[in-house]
Amino acid sequence: MAVDLGQMAELLIAGKVDEVEKMTGQAIEEGMDPSDILQKGLIAGMDVVGQRFKACDMFIPEVLRSAKAMGAGMKQLRPMLVASGAKMAGTMVIGTVKGDLHDIGKNLVGMMFEGAGFQVVNLGIDLESQVFVDAVKEHKPELLGMSALLTTTMPKMGEVINALKEAGIRDQVKVMVGGAPVTEEFAKEIGADIYGANAASSVDKAKAVLNA
Amino acid sequence: MKSVMPDMQPMNQTVQETPVFEVLSEDQIEQIYFSALEVLERVGSRVHHDDALELFRNSGDAVVGDDKRVRVTTSLVERALKNYPRKITLKGRNGIRSVALQKDHVYFGTGSDLPFTYDRKTGERRRTTYKDIVDAGRIVDYLPNFDFFMSHGIVGDAPNPLTYDRHQFMAMLEGCTKPYVVTSVDGEGLEDLWKMACLFQGGEDEFRLNPMFVAYIEPISPLTNDRTAVEKLLFAAEKGIPAMYTPCPSSGATAPATIAGMLVQSLAETLLAIALCHLKRPGMPLIMGGVTTVMDMRTTTYSYGAPEMALASAANTDISKWLNLIMFSTGGCSDAKVLDEQAAIESTISNLTAFLSGANLVHDVGYIDSGVNASLESLVMNDEIIAMVRQVGKGIKTDEAHLALKVIDEVGPGGEFVTHDHTYEHWKEWFMPKLMDRSDWETWNAEGAKTMLDRVNEETQRILDTHEPAPIDDTIKKELKKIIDDADKRHSK
Repeated sequence: MAVDLGQMAELLIAGKVDEVEKMTGQAIEEGMDPSDILQKGLIAGMDVVGQRFKACDMFIPEVLRSAKAMGAGMKQLRPMLVASGAKMAGTMVIGTVKGDLHDIGKNLVGMMFEGAGFQVVNLGIDLESQVFVDAVKEHKPELLGMSALLTTTMPKMGEVINALKEAGIRDQVKVMVGGAPVTEEFAKEIGADIYGANAASSVDKAKAVLNA
Repeated sequence: MKSVMPDMQPMNQTVQETPVFEVLSEDQIEQIYFSALEVLERVGSRVHHDDALELFRNSGDAVVGDDKRVRVTTSLVERALKNYPRKITLKGRNGIRSVALQKDHVYFGTGSDLPFTYDRKTGERRRTTYKDIVDAGRIVDYLPNFDFFMSHGIVGDAPNPLTYDRHQFMAMLEGCTKPYVVTSVDGEGLEDLWKMACLFQGGEDEFRLNPMFVAYIEPISPLTNDRTAVEKLLFAAEKGIPAMYTPCPSSGATAPATIAGMLVQSLAETLLAIALCHLKRPGMPLIMGGVTTVMDMRTTTYSYGAPEMALASAANTDISKWLNLIMFSTGGCSDAKVLDEQAAIESTISNLTAFLSGANLVHDVGYIDSGVNASLESLVMNDEIIAMVRQVGKGIKTDEAHLALKVIDEVGPGGEFVTHDHTYEHWKEWFMPKLMDRSDWETWNAEGAKTMLDRVNEETQRILDTHEPAPIDDTIKKELKKIIDDADKRHSK
């Protein structure tokens, strides 16, 4: 029996990580078009999750479960999508700057991007500027996300942007910054492309900039 | 390797899960109670009702003076006190026995009979109409944290002031399906309201088991009982209608300027009704009340926002529990002329205090302008306040699942809880804001930089535009109309 992609979307909305993962595998085995599995199964589900989240019908713990299910499906689909040249959300590298040990907020943002179909490379916390530069060179992401939760570590994000310029790779990647003390003005000041006010709106803003 | 967690089930422990809040010790309650008994033996209370005076005269436990002053023995009061029910469960016209008045069960509702209403369209203060009461009813019917409905306003456009209460109750029935607290003109008015309610509950006997409303009755402080109040009280006793006798003293004017003195006097006023109802029919469902506050010494206003009101009300609730009586209390009201920051502050303090004290029926929620002006918006704002207050009252669970030792072990240093199953299972125990804004600065601005008042207004309008209560059956409607028409005819002569 053919895999029902509508049902896959429903399972994804319900946050059934294992079942979505299993079903994606079955669909691939059955030889379904990977783009169809992505669009009509996973993304169709995440679209509903996004709408429900905005309408306050779903909340962070539930959204993150769905995002996790999305990530589990994408893990299997990605190599096939790359091979077929299908359009994908892209790659994001994310990390917390030097001197700052705050981890969770940045991870939350990463999970939200995974939910939106991005491949997320999470570098960790307390990172030297050079780590970001090396990661951009290695993973060639469309998006670099940086987080600082302290007013004392905020300027480090500007230093990373300068380091990208010095390495001659600033143009290759869009830079997004966030964290409680960060503002739109500050983001502009240090030359970032996107200011992420919160985990959910960051995804929308990044998509808008990347699709522009 | 993960360590094995210890057995978390305690033995022989008292686990207190909800906050404990008392403002009087048992010794203080006894001092107040014995003082109130002393007032009844020595000072007495004036009763302007011949049948009631006759009951006292024939009791052998009271002395009735020429000035209608009744002094009552402690023996009668204490015999009476043993006979009142400790539980009364109200059933709304929605068929749900939703208000179980018993120790520490707290229910919130509106107040009644406000002459003015804040007009949402013009922003003016104007006379309250029938439609305003239906609208208030619809809002109360919708809001999840309101459990009972008092009329909020007084029907200013009724054909005859002597029968306004029937029209008012009709408006309440139309707007709201939850249980009610009703006010009436006199004994005859209460009888009509009771007949109207019996149509829904299936007759007199069913009403006794499933009362639809509590009758609101008040003495006049200090120590005076007027004819209509006593008439209502005796009718309620005769028919077994739940009723409250709720003194409304203002400290410094109609009661001593000390809270303890006001509590003594208002308890004496209550105990007189306790004795009288016992003589009429032992065991009638009588509820203790008290809107106990101060007179503002700059303006003479009877204050609905004073912290003394919250404190004295909590004290009354402590006394009511000690006496094994159900308590009718006050909260969610304000002296502010419009719904503003003052209204929010005063409403919050009285709601929280009333809830923590364990009062059973907390009324006057939504009053502004010191009990003169009605605000629908205030009902909507208070719904959110009460939701937060109830959350505080839930207290803290400390069983194995809630201590979460296993989860802390699994996540460990530097991990995260947000994607853990434990979070997914328990976060819904939290208060979920409907009107409180917790968004970030950017989102808040993007969504129109709305203040609390903006959001309250929008939600009020949304409820008015969308919520219709279950309709009243046509046959019952006809019979209701007949009761009202008959009353109008009787009083037009």
